Amino acid sequence: MDSTIASESPKLTSATSGFVLAAALTVVFNTALACVKDTSARLKNFMKSLTDHDWTTQGLVDVLLFVGLGVVFMKSRMMERTNPIHLIVILVVAVAKRGARPGLLVRDILSYSRLNRGVDRRGRRRP
Amino acid sequence: VRAGVTLEKGAALNISSSDVILLAHAAFGVLGCLTALWVFVETLNARPANAGRIQAAALLTALLMTAGWICGGYWYVHFYPREKALILGGPWPFAHNFFMETKEHLFFVVAILAFLLPITTRERLHSNSAARTLVLSVAGLIVVTGLSVEAAGAIIDHGVKIALLQDALKGTHSWIPQSLQSLRN
Repeated sequence: MDSTIASESPKLTSATSGFVLAAALTVVFNTALACVKDTSARLKNFMKSLTDHDWTTQGLVDVLLFVGLGVVFMKSRMMERTNPIHLIVILVVAVAKRGARPGLLVRDILSYSRLNRGVDRRGRRRP
Repeated sequence: VRAGVTLEKGAALNISSSDVILLAHAAFGVLGCLTALWVFVETLNARPANAGRIQAAALLTALLMTAGWICGGYWYVHFYPREKALILGGPWPFAHNFFMETKEHLFFVVAILAFLLPITTRERLHSNSAARTLVLSVAGLIVVTGLSVEAAGAIIDHGVKIALLQDALKGTHSWIPQSLQSLRN
């Protein structure tokens, strides 16, 4: 980065702020919808009836929500006062929370491996 | 659509539309991750001179990820159910139960981030530290989640492969290749 270039105040335009918040909310909504869909066969069938596949409907809903919320937030004056760092943290946390699931795999593989070797968590042989 | 090509010596080479779509999905995904990495590196050295290049790379990321999304979605809806049945009956059921389930969710996250990237690069990155941090975060997340999705795809593919190998060795399929015949005996 060139230090000779004059720095502006670290603010984002309302369009950028609006779409960042829209992306974070869409990621959270996507996760919530996937969880609800797994437990409600009625919702899954309804989504299936709209586009022949529930995941196709979910993808379209995500895109519409992202664009719709982005436009609404962009036009609202609230976004001009939002701290950009807060927005970045909200986005990163929303995505990281979604990606936390692979951590569970490591735990499952370790317990599966221990089960196969007939040992407990401390490496002692199971009776 | 099936393209049949007979080689000069050996068996006929059949490339089905399923193979083409699946490989295109993976290729678009990897290229999208590479262009996101390109945006990341250019943003670390943001200057007025490379602003256009950053915006072009961000737009290319969105286009490549959209192409990967469409190919992957089409393949999943039309061709995956048969492979899912194979995986669940094979030695690696977690290739579907865990990896495909995770991929189904992350798949949308990568696409939303890729749509966001060109919007964030419209800021004056060389003079706005918050905008630079934002672009670095979004591009970094695309690279990490995109490569995770790619890795999950490889594991799913391997789940199908070893399920087929197991079936072949058990003799469930009639088309066992000669190379495997000796292993059965």
